[in-house]
Amino acid sequence: MAFREKTAWLTLISMLVAYTLYFGLIVGGHPAGYELFAMLWLFGAISLTQLVVVIAGSLYLTARTPKEERARPDERDRAIGRRGAAAGYYVLLIGTIVAAVVMPFLESGARLANIGLFALVTAEAVHHLVILTSYRRGWHG
Amino acid sequence: MAKPPFNNDIRTLRFLAGEMTQAELGDRVGVTRQTIAAIEQGKYSPSLEVAFRIARLFGKPLEAVFQWDGNQDASR
Repeated sequence: MAFREKTAWLTLISMLVAYTLYFGLIVGGHPAGYELFAMLWLFGAISLTQLVVVIAGSLYLTARTPKEERARPDERDRAIGRRGAAAGYYVLLIGTIVAAVVMPFLESGARLANIGLFALVTAEAVHHLVILTSYRRGWHG
Repeated sequence: MAKPPFNNDIRTLRFLAGEMTQAELGDRVGVTRQTIAAIEQGKYSPSLEVAFRIARLFGKPLEAVFQWDGNQDASR
């Protein structure tokens, strides 16, 4: 498996674990679902942990991969990256529109922020999924 | 994902060029080993520039390296 594919897997899996936990807690009635400070603390703690995991995992993968395998991205890597970014952009756009539509009906800023965060996380997950699918199944840009 | 409507003979040409490795070919045309492997397997369509670089490296015209597959084109 290519180095870039491994780092994409690392980011995707850590994201899915971290934000499944975050949104799972919110659905389960955690105060982060309706109180701004609780939301900031929970989201901050979970995203910081995820960041540390991604950095540590990337360092581990870098150390274990020969230098020639970590070559600069070429035209295929860039094309796949652009495809992932474009797919993520459309998901984010839809999420932003949904947030804007429901905004007048929400009494809590935390709920709106969570809808926005959900859109961001989903867009980022789609971004990495498209990248992984393109590496696995091929890409004819 | 569907294969591109053309085939290539890069693997054969590498063999005829003294069993050149994918990594060596990639180095010489400016892409990674994984990209050469993806091109050979029909999982990636290279840019025109990379296609010409590969053909020039083997001293062949572009059509000797990449061949249009009419059957796939007709089935679309």
